[in-house]
Amino acid sequence: MNVLEIRNLTKTFGDFIAVDNMNLSVNEGEIFGFLGANGAGKSTTINMISSLLRITKGEIKLLGKDIVKDNKFTKMNIGIVPQDLAIYEEMTAYENVSFFAGLYGLRGALLKERTEEALEFVGLGDKRKALPKSFSGGMKRRLNIACAIAHHPKLIIMDEPTVGIDPQSRNYILNSVKKLNQMGCSVIYTSHYMEEVEEICTRIAIVDHGKIIAEGTKEQLKSIITDTKETWIGVKNAERLDLNALKQISGVNSVRLEEQTVKIVSKGEINNLNGVIQLLIRDQVEISSVEEQAPNLETVFLTLTGRNLRD
Amino acid sequence: MEFWIIGNKAVLLVYVIFVSYSVVRGASPWEILAYLSYLCVNMAIPILRKQRRLQLLGSALSAVLVVVFAFRLNTVFILLLPVNLYEIVLMSGGRNRFALLLGLVPLFLIPEDESLIYLLAASLSLLFYYSLRVHTEKLEKIGGERETLRLDLQHLKQSLSINKEYIRQSQYTSKLEERNRLSQQIHDEVGHAMAGALIQMEASRRLFGTNPDKAAELLGNAITISKEGLERIRLTLKDMKPRSEELGIHRLRLFADELSANHSVNATVTHEGDLDLVTPLQWKIIHENATEAVTNSLKYGEATAIEFEIRVLNRMIQSVIADNGKGTEKIVKGLGIVGMEERAASAGGTVIVDGTKGFRVTTLLPFQKGG
Repeated sequence: MNVLEIRNLTKTFGDFIAVDNMNLSVNEGEIFGFLGANGAGKSTTINMISSLLRITKGEIKLLGKDIVKDNKFTKMNIGIVPQDLAIYEEMTAYENVSFFAGLYGLRGALLKERTEEALEFVGLGDKRKALPKSFSGGMKRRLNIACAIAHHPKLIIMDEPTVGIDPQSRNYILNSVKKLNQMGCSVIYTSHYMEEVEEICTRIAIVDHGKIIAEGTKEQLKSIITDTKETWIGVKNAERLDLNALKQISGVNSVRLEEQTVKIVSKGEINNLNGVIQLLIRDQVEISSVEEQAPNLETVFLTLTGRNLRD
Repeated sequence: MEFWIIGNKAVLLVYVIFVSYSVVRGASPWEILAYLSYLCVNMAIPILRKQRRLQLLGSALSAVLVVVFAFRLNTVFILLLPVNLYEIVLMSGGRNRFALLLGLVPLFLIPEDESLIYLLAASLSLLFYYSLRVHTEKLEKIGGERETLRLDLQHLKQSLSINKEYIRQSQYTSKLEERNRLSQQIHDEVGHAMAGALIQMEASRRLFGTNPDKAAELLGNAITISKEGLERIRLTLKDMKPRSEELGIHRLRLFADELSANHSVNATVTHEGDLDLVTPLQWKIIHENATEAVTNSLKYGEATAIEFEIRVLNRMIQSVIADNGKGTEKIVKGLGIVGMEERAASAGGTVIVDGTKGFRVTTLLPFQKGG
């Protein structure tokens, strides 16, 4: 079943079209990635899903219910981690989470239990009495996440949750996204960090100028550009190479030698590196480096739009 | 239009506050309560945008409040009345004359020394109301006109594409005729030559035993005729061979050359990947989008160079038309862009228009490999 379904969604600000006739569906149990440069329309879309912005045209359905008509249902089932921190610096971590969970209607013992649970989940259990003022950027981000998950939403939306934080906190957040997903949450994750999206997302949409220009698993997206990969092997004694034998290895399309580097083009889904290396060792070729030139999402984005993600 | 009404109210409210301060030197708590409640009610009106009835109710409530305040606290409050009255008329879609009359009614109910200033406030508010009304109506009319124009355009486009289809058909027919002519030519010239050669060879076989010299001569003739025939076949076939894979990119090159010749731009075409995979329909879309994009570049972009780039990727065909002109920060989607999008969408593709570094129109068309 689709957790989220977006049909012909459009948002205009005056003449400017921020989101342009977007169609999208997020399946249950997915981590769905939104990849796009700044200003591509990711946050606008998310703000419409979370009903912070009015929809100009089109419709959004959450678990089969229209988000405008069943606004309360939507709000109870979505957890949002906004791009700009939404926590109160003058309240303790515990009070922050409990305040937001209270907004979702949690009361009494359940409220306490869920607040504790959310704080433990993001690793701030021992900081419950501390004020966010004293927190690092990463801890604030984690608290921000705790505030969004205490009410056990079906869909969690994370809008650039790793902007401006240290690597440890980033790993922590990425892992907690995976953990939330294993616990049965669907997640929408936006970022302009390609590596993060590539690491955690099960399906990805590339957004540019308010449109989805490509959508699919990362393998599907990469195969838009090419089905092949290139392995570059630097060698010391190239004269010992048996190029014809290399071509016989399964999956190899072509082999060429450029100065001291053998460039092997092979089918993307086949791993034949073992065979290649074994052959080189048999021929007593001295290997100085091995490098794989497979396309990544950044290349896909660059090729399709002609621009860098961080332009 | 709400902003104008809010502004109107705000100016009048400031005046009322100013007057009551300058007369009494300080306002009573009741008066402050009056200002605040007036503010609350009137701020609620634009917020309740979606519920017409509540808005009307709010405006009416505000009118009643103003009258009450005017009688109980300070007559100057009555200045705020006409705006609310006009607002009610505007929202309920009433007649203009009615609005004018409604605004004049309180004139008979207030003391004479206030009536002049009231008249001023009422007429200014009326002016606001009139201009708002006129502009709203104009906007609606323009919107309607735009819609009909759009429909007209769509019809025209449709008939244009039918015409184009007709032209394509007739081009196809003429191609067939050309092919017929060529096969006739092969039959007439090559066929006869081959028959001639065959006769010579037959004769040479008969003479082989008795007159070897003659036989050799005849065989030599046959070889010459055959060579000529073969050469002719090659020439004819070379003329006839369709170069469909070259048609698309050729046409684009021709287009680019014409551009360079007729306008002061330098147009270049580059391509990458296997062009055989591009279907005629996709070429058509690429070409039409290129024409559209170039028109735009020449018209608005002040470009001196235009670059066409066709890339056949693994599962997508990408056509980029980029110029080095001034581009634009804000892209307004006109009929041109919508047209390109529609064409691309008809083949399951998308169009990205980017104006940050000159104009750059990218058409992406997906295709199935091996299908």
